[in-house]
Amino acid sequence: MPVGFKRWWRTTFGLVAIVALGFALATLAIGVVAFETTHEALEQQLDHRIATETQALIDEGDDGPAGVADAIRRRETARGAGSLDYRLVAPDGATVAGQLDAEVPTQAGFVELLPYVHTGERRIAQSLTTILPGGHRLLVAADRGVIDDMDATLLRLFAGAFGAMLVLGIGAAWIVGLVTRHRLAQIDRTALAIIDGDLSQRMPVSGTGDEFDRVSATLNRMLDRIGTLMDNLRQVSSDVAHDLRTPLTRLHNRLEEALATQERERQHTAITAAADQSRELLDIFAALLRIAEVEGQAAQSHFQRLDLSALVENIVETYRPDMEASDHLLTATIEPGLTIDGDRRLLQQLVANLFDNVLTHTLAGTNVSVDLARSPRGARLCLSDDGPDASADESDHLFRRFSRGEASRSRPGHGLGLALVRAIADAHRGRATIDRTSGFAVMIDLEVANQAVETNV
Amino acid sequence: MRILIVEDDTETGRFIAKGFTELGHQVVLSADGRDGLYQATDGGFCALIVDRMLPGLDGLSLVRALRAAGDMTPVLMLTAIGGLSDRVEGIEGGADDYLVKPFAFSELAARVQALGRRQTVAVEPATLVVSDITLDLHRRTVARAGRRVTLQPREFALLAELMRNPARIMTRTMLLERVWDFDFDPKTNIVETHLSRLRTKLNAGFDDDAIETVRGAGYMIRGG
Repeated sequence: MPVGFKRWWRTTFGLVAIVALGFALATLAIGVVAFETTHEALEQQLDHRIATETQALIDEGDDGPAGVADAIRRRETARGAGSLDYRLVAPDGATVAGQLDAEVPTQAGFVELLPYVHTGERRIAQSLTTILPGGHRLLVAADRGVIDDMDATLLRLFAGAFGAMLVLGIGAAWIVGLVTRHRLAQIDRTALAIIDGDLSQRMPVSGTGDEFDRVSATLNRMLDRIGTLMDNLRQVSSDVAHDLRTPLTRLHNRLEEALATQERERQHTAITAAADQSRELLDIFAALLRIAEVEGQAAQSHFQRLDLSALVENIVETYRPDMEASDHLLTATIEPGLTIDGDRRLLQQLVANLFDNVLTHTLAGTNVSVDLARSPRGARLCLSDDGPDASADESDHLFRRFSRGEASRSRPGHGLGLALVRAIADAHRGRATIDRTSGFAVMIDLEVANQAVETNV
Repeated sequence: MRILIVEDDTETGRFIAKGFTELGHQVVLSADGRDGLYQATDGGFCALIVDRMLPGLDGLSLVRALRAAGDMTPVLMLTAIGGLSDRVEGIEGGADDYLVKPFAFSELAARVQALGRRQTVAVEPATLVVSDITLDLHRRTVARAGRRVTLQPREFALLAELMRNPARIMTRTMLLERVWDFDFDPKTNIVETHLSRLRTKLNAGFDDDAIETVRGAGYMIRGG
């Protein structure tokens, strides 16, 4: 198949044209069948009429050829339009009766196309030759004009239908192609504008809710998502650059200091401080990579069923001494037997990060409560404290990388803990939210598994 | 101890080799996976330090090939930061321990020492005894010089881990991994807090400290 044709029939016009051609061909096929059937039926009807008439003649002239000849004459006298024609010949070929001007076949039987002359005009007849006892031959014929008329009518009818189908089909193909191309061209133009850098462009939606609108709406949702991701990326890149500048500057200063001094003691102190700074930088990178990895959803390949209640209980017990040492009042209410499909280490880190946050950002004497309970959505872990709200930022903003409450700027940390918490919750198809109705609370909603874990964890 | 280091980054390789040589170990350095496997099968090493990413043959395949050949020399695998699934794959592939770059040399040294020891312990005894401390793993009881000491579950697990490795330094990260099953470093001092509580309980009524703090490295229980 030539490439040009292959490409052509894949266009909307091509597809609709092919369908139209199919319909036209089907019409043609129906026409041929109808024509043949009608034609055959008419011929059979004519044959039947001739055979009945022949039998009637023979019956009427039961006393032999003379009787048949009489019958013929009677009929010819009473002749009207559409009557049959007759000819009776003696065994020697001499005409006995009948005005049919045609050669009488020597063989008995039907002859479909018998030429004859009627009032000087050459015509074609359907005929039956019968050999009477004694050798006389009786020829009964009917003019085929009626069949030919019907054939011509049918031919005209179906040729007209075929032509109309073709014209309609090609017209429809042209219109559908035009409309499709017009709508696609709009989408195409928008896409080109986006490629050229204008990410604010959106696909046109006509509001009719048709297929094009649905595709446009989906593409627009995709563009919104890409836009958000681009914004995130831009924000993260600038935050990374901004947040790394401080430790890098400190590192640089420390090393300059070490180079400038001759005293071994001071050199040692400066290099130790520089090493600490570089370690901090590496920690930031490790945390960023961890978040990126969890967001990349590689985590789900390690999911297994685990006892969330036991996991949270373990972390609570792990942090209890630290909480007590820093004079935090910790109360834990943990509903037992909540199971979940997840990554144990990531979930441990999620809960530990929340505790780390409380320990870093609240003062001694703060009441801290941990609640794990079944919720309508699955399980809800809530870690709340009644300490003063350290940040005036938007709640959701705190889950972004490098975002830190204004008041906590002076405290250690890089604002990556909650970003990781959200990433881990998202990786588990859960949700992390902040509630500030009383104090500060981070809530993690997770889907629970229906069956309990088999082995005790 | 004879140690084989398979590491393609010459800077890191030299850094590790220098450290172990200074500690009095014999070190062989290889920069290629295939060469490393060849050297390892040649035998005679007490421990292997294998980088995950190597030219020729990657670290994971190297360890798999070694284990398939029935070689059970302890292996510590090194990896770059950010490999969430690397650890699981490494351990499943036959590595005995895993360390994420960058690391402090003291951390690596402590882990390699522990590797050499781990291999010799086949079946864990029900009771661990180190100097005057006795720990019963089944009854979960601890006594120092015959005097009963009551510990919280975490403190008990911490002491058991230290007593399984007597006279060896256990780093903070090693304890986090083995006692808490954490593969991350919490910002707060949970290890220090638990150790200080354990210490207080163990040392009550005694003059000497049962647990030694090795500055800049980790913790160690003396005796054995």
